[in-house]
Amino acid sequence: MTQQLTAAPPRIGRARAAFVRPWLLLAPALLVLAVLLLWPLVRVFLFSLQDYGLREITTGEPNWTGVDNYAEILSTPELWTVVLPNTVGFAVLAVAGTVAFGTGVAVLLASLGTFWRTVTSSAIMAAWAMPAVTGTYVWVWIFDADRGVFNDVLMGLGLLDDPTNWFTDRWTFYAIVLLNVIHHGFPFVAVTVLAGLLGVPKEMLEAAEMDGAGSFRRFFSIIVPQLRQVFAVVIILSTIWDFKVFAQVYLMPGGAGSNRSVLNLGVWSYVESFGQNRYGFGSAIAVLLTLLLLVITAVYVRTVLAEEER
Amino acid sequence: MSTTRTAPALRPLRRTSRRSPLRQLGKGVLVALLLAFTLFPVYWMLNSSLDAQAGHTNSFWPAEPTLDHYWFVLTEGGFGTFLRNSLLVALGTVLISSALALLASVAVARFRFRMRTQILMLVLIVQMVPLEALVIPLFVQVRDLQLLETLIGLVVVYVALALPFGIWMLRGFVAAVPIELEEAAYLDGASWGRMFWSVLLPLVAPGLVATSIFSFITAWNEFIFAMTMLGGATENYTVAIGLRSFFGVHSNDWGAIMAASTIITVPVMIFFILVQRRLASGLTAGAVKA
Amino acid sequence: MTRAMRRPIAAAIGALAVAATTAACGGGSGDDASEGDGTLNVWIMQGTNPDADDFFDEVSTAFEEETGATLDVEFVEWADAHDRFVTSIAGGTTPDVAETGTTWTPEFADAGALAPLDEQVEGAGVTDDLVEGLVEAGTYDGQLYGMPWYAGVRSLVYNTEMFEQAGVEPPTTWAELEDAAAALKEEFPDKIAVAVPGDAEFTVYPWVWGAGGEVATLEGDTWTSQLDSPESQEGIEFWTGLATEGGYSSAGATTWRETDVLDSFAAGDVGMAVMGSWTPGAIVDANPDMDGKFAAVPIPGKDGGMSPSVLGGSHLSMFETAEDKDLAFAFIEMMTTGEFAQKWGEQSGYFPGQVSLLDETLESTDPLVAPFAEQFVDGGASVPAAPTYGAVQAKATTSTMMQSILAGDADVATASAAAAEEMTTILNGSE
Repeated sequence: MTQQLTAAPPRIGRARAAFVRPWLLLAPALLVLAVLLLWPLVRVFLFSLQDYGLREITTGEPNWTGVDNYAEILSTPELWTVVLPNTVGFAVLAVAGTVAFGTGVAVLLASLGTFWRTVTSSAIMAAWAMPAVTGTYVWVWIFDADRGVFNDVLMGLGLLDDPTNWFTDRWTFYAIVLLNVIHHGFPFVAVTVLAGLLGVPKEMLEAAEMDGAGSFRRFFSIIVPQLRQVFAVVIILSTIWDFKVFAQVYLMPGGAGSNRSVLNLGVWSYVESFGQNRYGFGSAIAVLLTLLLLVITAVYVRTVLAEEER
Repeated sequence: MSTTRTAPALRPLRRTSRRSPLRQLGKGVLVALLLAFTLFPVYWMLNSSLDAQAGHTNSFWPAEPTLDHYWFVLTEGGFGTFLRNSLLVALGTVLISSALALLASVAVARFRFRMRTQILMLVLIVQMVPLEALVIPLFVQVRDLQLLETLIGLVVVYVALALPFGIWMLRGFVAAVPIELEEAAYLDGASWGRMFWSVLLPLVAPGLVATSIFSFITAWNEFIFAMTMLGGATENYTVAIGLRSFFGVHSNDWGAIMAASTIITVPVMIFFILVQRRLASGLTAGAVKA
Repeated sequence: MTRAMRRPIAAAIGALAVAATTAACGGGSGDDASEGDGTLNVWIMQGTNPDADDFFDEVSTAFEEETGATLDVEFVEWADAHDRFVTSIAGGTTPDVAETGTTWTPEFADAGALAPLDEQVEGAGVTDDLVEGLVEAGTYDGQLYGMPWYAGVRSLVYNTEMFEQAGVEPPTTWAELEDAAAALKEEFPDKIAVAVPGDAEFTVYPWVWGAGGEVATLEGDTWTSQLDSPESQEGIEFWTGLATEGGYSSAGATTWRETDVLDSFAAGDVGMAVMGSWTPGAIVDANPDMDGKFAAVPIPGKDGGMSPSVLGGSHLSMFETAEDKDLAFAFIEMMTTGEFAQKWGEQSGYFPGQVSLLDETLESTDPLVAPFAEQFVDGGASVPAAPTYGAVQAKATTSTMMQSILAGDADVATASAAAAEEMTTILNGSE
């Protein structure tokens, strides 16, 4: 899997071209990234050091307050009891759930015949294609307390006497978000892992089978090590995506701030920015979220890049 | 690339399973459950969109079948215009971001130069920023570029959003092209540019498909930026913000919302199902070689 | 964000006579109307008036005749409006004139985005004819930034069929209301006797005021929320108790917004609910079967009389970015006085913002107009007129309190104390 890098094409006269060419190739992309992502990113950080409100945006005058915003965030008790646990806890569960489920589905798909594999993977594609916003509305509609199909069915089966509002409780609320996120996120994992699975040399599997290894053993002792890189990518990308869930929480009943027990970092940042016109404070939250992700990505970079440079 | 080897790799697994009818049954149950889980929301969306009674009664098939919701959405709802806008924006984003991502990925995958690692890090880091945090600074940026309320402004922003992931994925793909092919081209006297067009490009085409899909989805689904940047320019609305107009004036018109959702989802779904094989191979190459 | 604002639509407010009060012609401003680019950009909220397109076609024609300038009207969704305003203020792309919700006007004025209107209002000679509550809400730092346009009020709307079948009369006291709810529940165990929504702050304050409490009071420069005063708590206790102790509401209602209340009421699932004067039309729209099967009464006072209810409405505000301020005011004047103001009221089901126009409405005997009108005049109240009140709404302070009580996570004392503390902090703001 490792990749050796070529230096310049093997001709002497090309040495200079080899020096300039990568930068020429990179220039348009870097320009776009710098103007539209990097500079705004720096600005977010600058905002986070200010009491930045509507007035500051209009006039463009800075209003520096040092690290006040950060101090306020870190001294908010809800950060530790509600917001961080919701963000981190949910991301852990969502990543674990998405990857485990996606892998399970990939294994199942690999064992199917062509016809059923096509049918099933098309269904998976359908789940993937559903935009997050639409998907969230559909789940909200399904779990609606009074007219949703979920309560209807439970009551029809006699499992529930009165309609329950699943959106008010922190746990059931996030259970629905989890369902939504896994539904939307597992196809990526399943498709990627499946492709990886199919790339595992059959000789290895046959050899193991002849040695009498059961399917579980074969899976964990041969397939998993072979797919280490695939898993690394899938896990890190899912982590980045799941830490940032926004629409899936924001669009749920109570998710936009009125149910404080379900706030996460993303929603908190947005609500403070746009609801309270405290863009500085909201930006500081966003910076913290980014830092949190940075730490996690550092691990990724070390595993993946280090291996490649070897 | 690796998927082309599908069949032989499968045989051992399949043979094992054929042995036991019990296992076959178990597998059938699993497939049924999986299909139910993946398709139920889709089905429910379709069901509600076709039911005049949506929002009043619950039934597993349309209690009063009708196409009225679609009619309403496409005529009064103005969804035709929104669809056209979204398509334009998505196509623009796909073309530009793929081109830029390809060039950049060749640079980072094929050349070793100073700052290479830093640039890779940068590409990774910018993916981690919560988009909500970028709304205000990006808004100001687009304002300064005089592109507020235009589709071009949106395309520019979406290109920026889609670019990092595109570079990241294509990088693995470019790296997977055997260097010997390039060298052969040089030996034949080809210039670098010619080698790029006639050797590299055709070989990374599947990877381009995969990245295009991601850019397409980014542009098709994006919500917050479209809302803030298009402002009052209703004629430039995309489908994602168009969907909002069915919410909340007096009541939530679930039938119309689900019809609009279906209209948004179906093109992507068809597209996905059509390209799924290429998508899978693109992803593996991108991911595995990463 | 501020989706707790009112949701509009047609109700026959009754015949307003053609009282072409003050000069419908935008006096004095026509002369220099040709300045600027000759186009006036206007934002109007979507959905207040079902015939808005036709209405503004007419206005455009009249406006062009009078000033020679063209009118460019854009309709904005309530749900997005606050963000839209904020970003346009930030981007310098504000319209010349916009409809602003009464709780937003001080906020945008505070941001320096709005132009004061006192001089022009004075010049037009309508200063004394404006509805007091709306003027108050549109005043910031002693200056008028929002021209009163229209307003509505919430009262108790009930399902007459259900009431008849259960053999109850519309309540006039809190005790009667509770008895009525009990009787309805007895008769219709599967329906909601009284909807107690968790995400609709304006349905909460009447009970706070009715018990003698206040939402917040201003002393000197300092706001203090009174949501945790014994009186306020009594009111909240009564209102939420209908759900938590009586079980007269539903679990789903814990996360309901006013739109959800309307949906369920229109479906015939709700016995009574606090709803706006603009909702009757929407109810019939959603379910024609409901026509004639519901009526309204003012929100009962604790021991009779009525509990005050929020006057919610809209201003027309002029933005500082307007190049030709006289032209902008010509439009504001045309819209808020005389023929067009009256017509807007008729079509949208709201009360006009001008006293002389309002008087006509008050004489109506329509059972879906009179009770609201009574409430509007005798039982109208206003939320704290602080520029930071919009932030309180966005923080969903009151909804948070309601949801935690209704979900059983906190008792009234705890939840209201937390809400009061938060509201006090936000109201006093950082400035």
